Amino acid sequence: MAYIVVQILNALSFSVLLLLTGLGLSLVLSLMNFVNLTHGSIFLLGSYIGVQWMASGAPWWMAFPAAFVLTGLVGAVLDRYPFRQFYPRTHLMQVLLTYGLSVVFADLMRWGFGADTLSPVLPELLQGVVFVMGFPFPVYRLFLIATGATLALALWWAIERTLWGAAIRACVIDRGIVETLGIDTRRLLTVGVVLAAALGGLGGALGAGMLSAYPGLDEEVLLLALLVVVVGGLGSFTGTVVSALLIGFVTTFARMWLPEFANFLTLGMMALVLMVFPHGLLGRETRQL
Amino acid sequence: MTVRAGFTGTPMDTSSSRRGGGWRLLGLAALLCGVLAVFGDDYQLRFAAEIFLVGTAVMSLNVLVGYAGLVSLGHAALFGAAAYGAAVAAQHWGSDLLLMLPVGVACGMALAALMALVSYRSAGLFFLVLTLVVGQMTWEVVFRWRAVTGGADGLRGFPALTVAGLPASHPLALYALALTLALACGWVLRAFVSAPVGHAVQGMRDQPLRMRALGYHLGRLRLQAFLVTGAVAGAAGSIYPFVNQYVGPNTVHWSMSATLVIMSVLGGIATLAGGFVGAALYLVAQTQLSSWTDRWQLLIGLLFVLTVIFVPQGIVPALRRRFRS
Repeated sequence: MAYIVVQILNALSFSVLLLLTGLGLSLVLSLMNFVNLTHGSIFLLGSYIGVQWMASGAPWWMAFPAAFVLTGLVGAVLDRYPFRQFYPRTHLMQVLLTYGLSVVFADLMRWGFGADTLSPVLPELLQGVVFVMGFPFPVYRLFLIATGATLALALWWAIERTLWGAAIRACVIDRGIVETLGIDTRRLLTVGVVLAAALGGLGGALGAGMLSAYPGLDEEVLLLALLVVVVGGLGSFTGTVVSALLIGFVTTFARMWLPEFANFLTLGMMALVLMVFPHGLLGRETRQL
Repeated sequence: MTVRAGFTGTPMDTSSSRRGGGWRLLGLAALLCGVLAVFGDDYQLRFAAEIFLVGTAVMSLNVLVGYAGLVSLGHAALFGAAAYGAAVAAQHWGSDLLLMLPVGVACGMALAALMALVSYRSAGLFFLVLTLVVGQMTWEVVFRWRAVTGGADGLRGFPALTVAGLPASHPLALYALALTLALACGWVLRAFVSAPVGHAVQGMRDQPLRMRALGYHLGRLRLQAFLVTGAVAGAAGSIYPFVNQYVGPNTVHWSMSATLVIMSVLGGIATLAGGFVGAALYLVAQTQLSSWTDRWQLLIGLLFVLTVIFVPQGIVPALRRRFRS
């Protein structure tokens, strides 16, 4: 029983990571119908920034804002060139562009940070374990769950309860009308892209303490994040939360019971979900024109 | 949000290789093939055979993406599953082409049918992700099932290829075999796209709603497109292990699928010949770059980016326009 509880906590911490990464991807996808396969690279970049920052001796808690800002900057540059010309293009072209960029980034990061697995030097506060019903559980993962949940809540509040969020949500539905209200939607979309990248990077910095950072992590994360977005349904915050939890739990428990088939099972389950709900769990039915 | 109609872009010229410019290009290609057969050394012949096989797979993807408008990120799984199927069958029952080809085609079609079934009701991004998921499930099977597939090491050391008992493992024979297969597959695909079902499939790409109103069953059309392209990709995959002398899990990985798509775009999406041009350019670039620098992956990534920025329409349509004017 206690073992199950520990696994539930593990699943929760993984879900929180998936949620942070998936939210960024989902934002860009529903805002401008842009498939961004560099999101995994941004996550890994955030992880490396986190690892380097904590090793540098600067205040450890600054690692997360640093990753947030730096990857946000990368997002701002990418938005200007070459993403901007590709927003109105087909998914196929977007996929190829961003896949190519992710290959470039992966190689650059292997060049810059080496091919070894790097783990951050955690501050004493977050090291060690607590005992949950007699089983050891890393403190860091509790910190991860708390921080991630807080961030997700803050984002939910920003999108659902503020004027900025209302403008962004309106942009998803009809950009032309928002433009006629005198709002510069171009700037709003840039904010969306930068925020998405920054969230991805922050997710990476937080995740480094659990997953470490290594070449290839970008691809694993990208695939899971894509699944989170698609299974949840485009443009649905609740959907993304539900599917992040679903995938986090399925992956964790599959790894516990059938480690060899874990990924196969996760992918299979998600394929089944998408067969039953072709627009995702909570996605709106799209009208085909 | 609305799903973009015709989402591979503008409908393209589909029947132009019969016109003047096409013939000249075709003659040039035939000349090149002939020169290579006479003067090429063993390595070059094997490499050319690999280009023909990969090009055939890209050609089938061209039909799926360019004609049917189904952007798949799992096409390498069809090709790779056939390659693994043939490699495993060869180790048990010997490697005669008359066995390899049906095994490969069956593997390709079976997986294609599964992909069509899983993505039966989805469109756009959801379709893309589902093909990716099925492809990665195949990769998981190949990667974990060590007893049969060799896991991360892959398979090598196959018995020499024969055709109805006659030895065909000499590079020149492999070259001729791959070329014949490429031409036969090209003929099959051309027949498919110019048949009524092929026109219906193109209608599904451009106006899915109208096609449905006309009484077409989109799921069935999609299944047909998948089966034909799966059979072709499977046929190409069935000889691949003997040309390459190795199959590894990377053959079914989604990065390989993305590579097939970039080859397809590089050559020209809704063209059949473009598949070979794209495959040749990409494979030559990859071989040259990887022997020249350790950072070749970075350059390959740049190749992707430059392709979509500068030649999104592909090389073959551009050449055709030039030759015609």
